[in-house]
Parts: sequence; structure tokens; C-alpha cells
Amino acid sequence: MSGTRTTARRRLTRLYALTLAGTLVWLGAIILAPVLRDAGPGVSAVFYACFAPVCHQDPDRSFALLGRPLAVCARCFGIYAGFLGGMILYSFRRGFETVRLPRTRNFVCLSIPIGLDAAANVLGLWNTPNLPRFFLGFAWGAILPFYFLTALGELSLGGLAIPAAKK
Amino acid sequence: MWVPVLVGGTAAGVLSGIPWVNCLCCLWILGGSALAVQIYAKDRSAPTSPGDGAVIGAFAGVVAAAVNTMMNVVFQSANLAFLRRVIERLSANMDNFPPEWQDWINREPGPISIAQLVISLAFSAAVFAALGALGGVLGAALFGKRPAGGHPPGPVPPLPGPPESS
Repeated sequence: MSGTRTTARRRLTRLYALTLAGTLVWLGAIILAPVLRDAGPGVSAVFYACFAPVCHQDPDRSFALLGRPLAVCARCFGIYAGFLGGMILYSFRRGFETVRLPRTRNFVCLSIPIGLDAAANVLGLWNTPNLPRFFLGFAWGAILPFYFLTALGELSLGGLAIPAAKK
Repeated sequence: MWVPVLVGGTAAGVLSGIPWVNCLCCLWILGGSALAVQIYAKDRSAPTSPGDGAVIGAFAGVVAAAVNTMMNVVFQSANLAFLRRVIERLSANMDNFPPEWQDWINREPGPISIAQLVISLAFSAAVFAALGALGGVLGAALFGKRPAGGHPPGPVPPLPGPPESS
């Protein structure tokens, strides 16, 4: 039993570390895109091109670093930064003993503000400044690791026969 | 499983490739993957676990990447025109606008090479698969049937604690 427990904790910890590393690389690339401009336009252009499939990269809706826009817009940057924040929160809230989906109502509550804001902007009802976009994205992004890691953990632990607790 | 994957992935790829419509960024990938899981779960009596949702969503993301790459080829001119407008707005707001970017605005686009297509497809597939897995998990949480008792499907039970000392 202790061997199974140790194996499960090790697998969950490894999955968490890999996901955290990937998140840091992703965020680092977003920030490096404008920074690497001085290293050569080709290098910077590759970084911007990497994020083109997932973001409109409108400079008016992006934060700037060194006078140049980040590789993604403020909302997307908020989502990815929120994902990192959620990863940190996950380690305290869930730990590495078990995996469990969050309550659906929590997801719905965090999705409503960003959904309404995005719809209102698309419909032209209002134009949200970048900072509120970032925070709305951050709030929504923070809950996503609780889903992502739960799925990875379930796939990883599926083959383990976890014995029933002794009465 | 493949029909829901193809339906959800195609929807996501098409919507994320249409100029202006693709301004909602990765939302289409998440939505398409969730749709794939919803279709998959609809005709199954057993609950769809988060792991199942992630696998279905990842495959839907790969399909979306392939469709999106083809859409980019079809809409190359429209996308370039949109990108030019973005860069022109950028040049109006930046003090030190790189001259090579100004040259890029003025040049005519050439045909996309096979190498560019392959690299673009490979990278998109990896990114869209990750986003699709996340969308699939969300789909399983929202649309996966609950077992009796109302609890979400597929939670791994907590590990047993240490045996009590007598």
C-alpha cells in the first residue's frame, strides 16, 4: 500500500512539475518576444509567429515591454498568468495525494465576467481597457489548472490499483 | 470517438481560421473540443471521465490544427491584409518602428512553402492539442454524465492513510 501511495504521489508530482515548467516556458516566450527585438528581428518574429495561431496580437490590446507589444493580448496574457497562479494555488489546495474536479458552479461564476466582457467588446457595446481585461483573464485562467491536472492525474493513476482503506 | 473528434476539430479549425472571427483566439479550440466531448457523451450511458475528455479534446485539437492550417492557406491574402492593418496601427503608436517591418508591409506576399506549412502545422498541432485537452476536460466536467449521487465522474479516491496504531 505504501508503495502504491508513493508511486501515485511521485507521478502526480512529476505531472505537476512538467506542467509548471511548460507554463513558465510559455509565459517566458510571451515576455521574451519584445525583449529579443534587439537580438535581431528574425528571432523576435519567430516568437511572435508562435503565438499567432492562438491570439489576434492586436498591439492596441496588448501590454507593452520596452516599447513593444507582448506576444499576446492583455486578455490572453491574463489567462496564461492566471494559469500560473492557479498552478501555485493548486499545490496548496489539492496537494499531490488525490485529484478531483472543482465544482461546476465555481467555473461558471468565473466564466461569466470574462464571457460577458468579451461579448460586449465584440458587439461594440464598450471597449474594456487592457488592465481589466488582464484581471478578468487572470481570474478565469486560475481555475483551469484544476481541470487540466485532474485529467492528467486521472490518466496517469488509472493503472494503479489503489487499495481500500483499512477499517 | 472519431466522429465527435472530427466534428469538433473541424468546427474549431474553421472558426479559428476565418479572418476577424478568429479574434476570439483560443476560445474556438476550447469550444470545439468541448463540443467533441458533448457529442461523444450524448450517446453513452457511462459517464465521461476527465481523462477521456482530455484525450478526445487533444485529438480534436490536432484536427483543428490541420483544418486551421488549410484555412490559413485559403485566407492568406485576407489574413495578410488584416495583419498589415495591425502593423500599420502599431507603427503609428511606436516611436522606433523597425524599418524592416515597414519593408514587410510594403512587399507582396509569396506562396507558402511546403516547409513553412509543415512547421506551422507541427507547432499548431502541439499547441492546439494542449488547448484541446483542456477544452475536453471542461467538456467532460460540463457535459459528462454524472453517476448516481451527483458527483462528477472519475475522481480518483484519496490515497489511504497510514494504518492506525493499536
